[in-house]
Amino acid sequence: MTSPDPTAAPDPSGPFDPPGIAWDGVSLRLITARLVVLGIMLGVPFVVCAVVAVLVTPWVWLPAGVLAALLVWAVLLVPRQVRAIGYAERDDDLLIRKGILFRQLVVVPYGRMQFVDVEAGPLDRKLGIAKVQLHTAAASTDAVIPGLAPDEAERLRDRLTVRGEARLAGL
Amino acid sequence: MSESGPAPVPAHESSATPPEPPEVSPAERDDQQWRRVHPVTPFVRGWAIIVALLFVVTQQSFDAVPYGELVDDVARVWWVFALGVLGVLVLVFGYAALAWRMTTFAVDDDAAHLRKGILFRQQRHARLDRLQAIDVRQPLLARIFGLAELTLEVAGGTDSAVAIGFLRLDDATALRADLLARAAGVKARRAGGVREDAAGTGRPTVPAAEPGSVTADAGPAEETSAGSPPLSGVVEAPENQVYEVPPGRLVASLVRLPAVWISLALLVGLGAAVAVTRNVAILFSLLPALLGVATFLFNRFAGEFGFRAAVSPDGIRLRHGLLETRAQTIPPGRVQAIELTQGLWWRGKDWWRIKVNVAGYGIEGTDGTQSVLLPVGTRQEALTAMWLVLPDLGTPDPAMLVDEGLTGDARTDRTFTTSPRRALILDPLTWRRNGFAVTERALLLRGGRLTRRLTVVPHERTQSLGLQQGPWQRHRGVASFAVHSTPGPISPAVHHLDEPDAARLIAEQAVRARTARAQQTPERWMETVAAVAAAVGPAPAAEPAPAAEPAPAAEPAPAAEPAPEEDPPPTRREDGA
Repeated sequence: MTSPDPTAAPDPSGPFDPPGIAWDGVSLRLITARLVVLGIMLGVPFVVCAVVAVLVTPWVWLPAGVLAALLVWAVLLVPRQVRAIGYAERDDDLLIRKGILFRQLVVVPYGRMQFVDVEAGPLDRKLGIAKVQLHTAAASTDAVIPGLAPDEAERLRDRLTVRGEARLAGL
Repeated sequence: MSESGPAPVPAHESSATPPEPPEVSPAERDDQQWRRVHPVTPFVRGWAIIVALLFVVTQQSFDAVPYGELVDDVARVWWVFALGVLGVLVLVFGYAALAWRMTTFAVDDDAAHLRKGILFRQQRHARLDRLQAIDVRQPLLARIFGLAELTLEVAGGTDSAVAIGFLRLDDATALRADLLARAAGVKARRAGGVREDAAGTGRPTVPAAEPGSVTADAGPAEETSAGSPPLSGVVEAPENQVYEVPPGRLVASLVRLPAVWISLALLVGLGAAVAVTRNVAILFSLLPALLGVATFLFNRFAGEFGFRAAVSPDGIRLRHGLLETRAQTIPPGRVQAIELTQGLWWRGKDWWRIKVNVAGYGIEGTDGTQSVLLPVGTRQEALTAMWLVLPDLGTPDPAMLVDEGLTGDARTDRTFTTSPRRALILDPLTWRRNGFAVTERALLLRGGRLTRRLTVVPHERTQSLGLQQGPWQRHRGVASFAVHSTPGPISPAVHHLDEPDAARLIAEQAVRARTARAQQTPERWMETVAAVAAAVGPAPAAEPAPAAEPAPAAEPAPAAEPAPEEDPPPTRREDGA
C-alpha cells in the first residue's frame, strides 16, 4: 500500500510486464471514488445492522461484523488495485494491465477499434476523473481505463481516434 | 434516418394513394428503385402471429381454468368467442397488410436500403462492403407459397441485419446474386442489373391496389409475379458442391450424444421407480427435462437435415433444413474463427463438428444452426471444410499439423507448444492437450481431453489479445491466453501456458496480426478470389490439394457433380411441399 511498485509488478520480467514498456498509471483520485462507492454499499447496511443489533437482538452484530471486515479489507485493497492499473501506448497497439491477485493484460490494436467511450458519473466529475473504454468488434474485449484526468482522457481519446483512422481495417 | 419528414403520412395515405413507391424524400437519390416485397407476405407473417397468439392464449387459459368449465363457458357464449376470433384475425391481417404496404427496399452500388414501420418509420442502410453474410431463409409456410426471406448480415450487434421478405424464391436468389456481385465490386455486371431491376419493379406492386383484400389476392398476385422474369440479369456465381451430410449419419451422430443416453438412463430409472412404487406421478417430474432434450434433438435434426456445402467465387454456400430451409452465403474472409470439436462417442467414427464465428450471426447463432459449417463429418471432410475457410494454412505440411491439433498431445507433439508439467495440478485432465501452434496464416489453439477441440483463428481476424493469471496459476508460473473474436459460439483461448511462452505468444501475435491485416483480402473480394475460382472451376479434383494430401481420395465423388445453378434444389423442395 505504501510502495506501489512491488505490489503492482512483483516480477518485472513476467508476462504481464513486457520489456521496454513504460506504464502510465491512473489518477489516485480513483481510490477515493471507489472507496466512496464501496463505503455507501457496505457502510449503509452496516449502520442498519448496527441499529437493529442495538434495538432488537445482538445476533445481528454477526452480519454487521462481516460487513465491517469487508469494509476494512476494501480500504486496504482498493489503493493497491488502483495502483496496479496501467496502460501503455505503443506504436500500433494499446496495452492495458490490471489486477494484483487476478492479473489481466489486454492488447488492443488501434486499427481494430470501432469506437471509444469517455464516461464520467457525478462522483467522477466531482473528483475530476473519467473512464475511457475501447470497443472492438469483439464483445469480449475488456479494455477499460478508469480514473483518468478528464483532459488526459480527452487527449487519449483523440490520439486513439487518430491512430485508429490511420490504421483502419475492416473486420 | 432521414425519414423524420414523411413519418406521419402513412395512416391516411394507405387507403388513397396508388401503389407507386412511397414518396421519395428530396434527400433520396433518383437512381434508387424502391421495390415492395411479395404481396403474400402479410398472410405468411399474419399466420405466424396468430399461431403464436393461439399458443399463448391456450396455454394461459388452460392453465387457469378447469377444462370442463371452459367447455361449458365456450358453449354458452360461442358467438362472442367467434366474434373475438374474427376480430383478432382482422386485426392481425390488417396490421400485417399495412406493414407490408409500408415496407420497401432498394439496392444501389454501395448499400441496401430498407424502409419499414407503420407508426415508427425505420430506414436502414446496410453498406455492401461491410456485408458479412447473406441468408435466404424459407420457413415452412413460406415454402408452401414458394417464398423466401433474404437476410443481409452486417456486423452491427444484435438486430442489425436487414431482412427483406418475403420474395419469390427466384427473386430472392436473383437479388442475392445482385447484392453479392455489387458487394464483390463487380462493376461490369452492374449496368445491366440495374436496368433490369427497374423493369421488374412495377410488377410485384400491382396487386397493392386493393390493400384491404390482400389475402384474397394471394392466388392471382402470385401468378402475376410468377410470370415476371427474375429481378435482375446478374448471373449467380457458379458453385461446386464440396460435401454433404447424409441423414443417416446425422441421426447416428445425434444418437451418439451423451444427452440421449443420459435421458434414456433416466427414463429407465424412472420406469423402475414407477414399477416399484406404483406412483405414476413420478414420471411427470422429469417430463420437462425430457421434453427439453427431445426439442434440442429435433431442432438439431431439423436444422441440419440435408446439410450441403459448396464453394463459389462468392464464398461458402451452406444449405440445410428440414421444415425451415436456409441457404447461407458467407463471402471470403468473413469467417472470424473456426472450431472443430469431437465428443467422446464420436471418436470411434472419427467424426468432427465444425462451428464458425461470423460477425453478423452473433450470439443468436450459438444454439441455432447458423454458425455450423459442418454438423458431423469425417476427418477428411473436416479438413475440406477448413480448406473452404482457409485455403492456405501457411504451413508446408497442413495434414500433419491438423492431425496433431485434433488428436495429438504433449507426448506426440512436434509443432504444438503445450502447458508445462507444472500445470498438472491445475488441470490434471487436459494439461497435455492445452497448446498452441502458429503458422504463417493462422493461430491454432488446442484443448479438451474428453471433448477434443481445435480452434483456428486467421491472423488478420484477430480483434484483440488477452492474458490472464489467477493466484494459483501465478504460483505455478502459468498464464491463460485468449484471442478476442467477434460474438459467436467460439471464444478462442488456451489455458495454463508456461509464462515465457505466454509472454512471447502475446507479443509476437500482436505483430503477426498487424502484418497480416496489412495484406489481407480487400472488402470487395472479387480481385483476389478470381484465382481461387479459376482453380476450383475447371479442375475440382485438384482443389483440396493445398489443404491436405489425403483429401483427394474422398474428394472426386462429391466434387464431380457440380451444382452450378441455384434453382434445382429449391424446385425439388417446392414439389415436395
